[in-house]
Amino acid sequence: MSVRPIAIPQAASPFHDRPSARRLLELDWILLLATLLLIGYGLAMGYSITIEDRTFSGDVGQQVLRGVLYAVIGLSAMAIVAVVDHAWLGTLAPLIYIGTLALLAIVLVIGDSTLGATRWVTIAGFKFQPSEFAKVFMVIVLAKWFADRDVRSPFTLLGGLALLAAPVGLVFKQPDLGTSLVFLGMFFGLAFIAGARLWHLTAILAAGAAAIPVLWGFLKEYQRARLTVFLDPYSDPQGAGWNIIQSLIAVGSGSLTGKGLTAGTQSPLGYLPIAESDFVFSGLAEDLGFIGAAILFVLYIVLLLSALRIAYGSRDAFGTYLAGGVAAMLAFQIVVNVGMAVSLMPVTGIPLPFISQGGSSLISICFALGALQSISMRREQKTLG
Amino acid sequence: MIDRSERHFVHPRRLAAVALAIVGVFVVLSVRMWDLQVVNGSHYRELAEQNRVMRSPVLAARGVVYDRSGRLLARNDPGFAVSVVPVDVPRARQDDLASRLAVLVGRGSDEILRAITDQRARNPYEPVQVSARPVGRETALLLVERAELYPGVRVTAEAMRAYVDGPLYSPILGYVGPIDEEELAERKGGGYLLQDTIGKTGLEWQYEGYLRGTLGWREIERDASLRELRTLALVPPKPGNDLVLTIDDRLQRLMNEELEKGVKEDKFSQAVGVAMNPQNGEILAMVSIPAYDNNAFVQGVSAAQMKAWNSDDRRPLVNKAIGDIYPPGSTFKMVTGLTALSTGVATRNTVVNVSSNVLVVDGWRFYDWRAHGPLNFVDGFAHSSDIYFYTLGGGNPYTGQRGAGPEAMAKYGRMLGFGAPTGIDLPGEARGIMPDPLWKLATFDEPWTLGNTYHAAIGQGFVAVTPLQLLNAYAAIANGGTVYKPHLLKEVRSGDGRTVHTEQASVARKLDVKQEDLRLIRESMRRVVTIGHAFMPDAKLPIAGKTGTAEFGESGGLDSAGRHKLGFHNWFVSFVPKADNADPTAEIAMVIFTFDSSRSVCDSCFNPAIALTQKILETYKGVRPAAGVP
Repeated sequence: MSVRPIAIPQAASPFHDRPSARRLLELDWILLLATLLLIGYGLAMGYSITIEDRTFSGDVGQQVLRGVLYAVIGLSAMAIVAVVDHAWLGTLAPLIYIGTLALLAIVLVIGDSTLGATRWVTIAGFKFQPSEFAKVFMVIVLAKWFADRDVRSPFTLLGGLALLAAPVGLVFKQPDLGTSLVFLGMFFGLAFIAGARLWHLTAILAAGAAAIPVLWGFLKEYQRARLTVFLDPYSDPQGAGWNIIQSLIAVGSGSLTGKGLTAGTQSPLGYLPIAESDFVFSGLAEDLGFIGAAILFVLYIVLLLSALRIAYGSRDAFGTYLAGGVAAMLAFQIVVNVGMAVSLMPVTGIPLPFISQGGSSLISICFALGALQSISMRREQKTLG
Repeated sequence: MIDRSERHFVHPRRLAAVALAIVGVFVVLSVRMWDLQVVNGSHYRELAEQNRVMRSPVLAARGVVYDRSGRLLARNDPGFAVSVVPVDVPRARQDDLASRLAVLVGRGSDEILRAITDQRARNPYEPVQVSARPVGRETALLLVERAELYPGVRVTAEAMRAYVDGPLYSPILGYVGPIDEEELAERKGGGYLLQDTIGKTGLEWQYEGYLRGTLGWREIERDASLRELRTLALVPPKPGNDLVLTIDDRLQRLMNEELEKGVKEDKFSQAVGVAMNPQNGEILAMVSIPAYDNNAFVQGVSAAQMKAWNSDDRRPLVNKAIGDIYPPGSTFKMVTGLTALSTGVATRNTVVNVSSNVLVVDGWRFYDWRAHGPLNFVDGFAHSSDIYFYTLGGGNPYTGQRGAGPEAMAKYGRMLGFGAPTGIDLPGEARGIMPDPLWKLATFDEPWTLGNTYHAAIGQGFVAVTPLQLLNAYAAIANGGTVYKPHLLKEVRSGDGRTVHTEQASVARKLDVKQEDLRLIRESMRRVVTIGHAFMPDAKLPIAGKTGTAEFGESGGLDSAGRHKLGFHNWFVSFVPKADNADPTAEIAMVIFTFDSSRSVCDSCFNPAIALTQKILETYKGVRPAAGVP
């Protein structure tokens, strides 16, 4: 049974649906404000990281400009997606799905390898990370899948999982365990918000848990060590636990107010590995202290709750699921990244939204938030009076 | 209002649950952050600081050693330490590297290999020192020039102890070497490092505390690969203090030269010479031949060399002036004489008629070296009559004279310092043996006999002394009854020349004897020379002394140097009084002890120690015409 409530009918083509002035006012301004503040925060951290990077020999201004450029591209993408009726994303979902698989497949064929992982492709001089876009695209694909079917049917759930299996497999092959986990986290969050039966979800999780011993065998030695060592990083302080201990030292040494932007020592002296992405939060907490971290948390909460409110107000199921999926995806990434930095979660290479440096992550998130704004502008209206 | 019926795809409770979960997770994260940053912030700040700053020790320069006139005896030369940075050594080549280095730094290749692999596991970027001791310039140059053969090898400067005259001073100075685990454990908290150098023996050991200095520290900012970025702070090391010895290098050299010449001319195979100022216990010279080159220990002694030294029966590694004990022979008659005078069994006029060269008691025969005829104390001492001193020590059944007895001899012998270390500031001093009936019962479970007394009276039998003990006892005679603790340290100076410590003369005890008895001994000693018993032709100095010939060990066969073992050793212990009246103001006392220098105890037997004494003292005092001048 397909569900397609239409309060504002879908336009005949994306170009027919120009938002009116009234719709522009229906932008989620709080979400927009949180987004802009987070982008600003990310730029500030990018500046600090560049200054603290002792191996960086280029022009600091140019590096900051690059961040600004990504932000402009991201905001432009957000604007464009916001203007278009989000239903078109649903319409294009099959194409998006095929495109996602193609992108991920291309990575494995022509991708650039760094640190033993193949995650990047260079197209027309631009280096980007398809798995970042794949995360957002799969939210669209799954939202569409659930919106068009009875979520309460186990077949819908299993079908969604089957859809997800291919990109998860491709990402896992890179190998990128962290992103694979983000896909799964996003799936369960989306399915939960979409109203899947709890016992179905529980059963899948139980089956997954039962399969862990089997999946464990597929993991490489270093991945296993990283997944377990957070329980007691001091069990292997010079080996797998080293990153975690150094991250804890960075975070803890920030104290209440931090050492000041660009004044951290753990990152410039090389104690924080991948300080611009995986362990970016450790550097932030070292520089800006508890207060800096708390401000970041508040911005994240505002962003995520705004996404949930948009899900609540969406005119259609696709919009609700899309917004819910985006919220679930971002929340999962934030929690896993921050949890890793403070040794509450295993070490997985997941970027921290807005703060980790890198255009792919920022632009893909902006794309998703654009979709959220689109949903917001086309939401159900409360009857006036 | 929103039409709920048309919006069944929205599940408000699930959305609320997700919102709640999100807020809850952030609360958990915030609590964790609060715990890390606010509750434990200072702890982590400290850890971050430790990460950033490495405290690395800066070694202090070891103090140098001078003789009393300022001549340098031990100094520090530039040497080199060899380290390996494991990350720069390809695993495939590390076995090869270890065996190459083993040859150059004098350590086992397996030991070096273990050091490298251990460090590789610990921190492959940090160099690990593989040389236990400093290596010389040639080795350092080789390592640097043939770098392709020695991947990952770093050569850094490290001071190397150098002993200016090697064997001349090795019995006194000893040497330094790498600290071992036991020494490190003993000095825990004393600022010693794992690869440190420490005084192993001799004055280097004795005055380690003065010589060592205090480590400095350098605080270095470093990165995670432990690359040193810049120096943040430097606590400069405090260099060790310099030692000024009581040794007079001129006398030391002179004595060594003369004794070496005697060995070369095959007059004797080993020799000891010690000179001191009897007025304060300062040692002016201390020679023990053969000695060893202590520089060899600084760079590491080969197993073959060590084996050769250890198997050499002339014991080159032992400072024979203090570390080995010998029968003092006739020089011990001073003890017997002083005992007899002090206990009243003899006076200067006590006459013993030595009508035969043998004294037969209970069928045992005790020989003198000739039939002297009647002798008073001075002549008995001067002619070194054995029967005279048998009588003073143990009595004479034929004349009915009473002897002092073994207990009294032991009492005065101990008062003079026999049977106990003198307390000189050197390690490895022997006690010697001052026997008495109780000692014999405890040691051999046998009763004391008259024969034991007779033998002890002439310094044979159980009596055993170190050359220094003998000298120190005679010094007490020379200075009028004060036994000093002999010492080699004159003063301690800081690096900038300030005197931080002056060693004072230290009195061990005063002799409980009459001054006139001491004067009588001194007079008798002078008579030894004036009657020609100790023949000193054309003497320029009023030397007083006592000869001694001791039977020691076996005669016959060859020693390690291929010389004939003669079985008899010669002593001459002497001092130079200001005038001929043997006053107690002598400023130099000396003992010369030569090994395998005569075939038997006899008057005409050549005692090389006498001529050596005359030559050394006269040359030292500048009263002897230079060699070659008729």
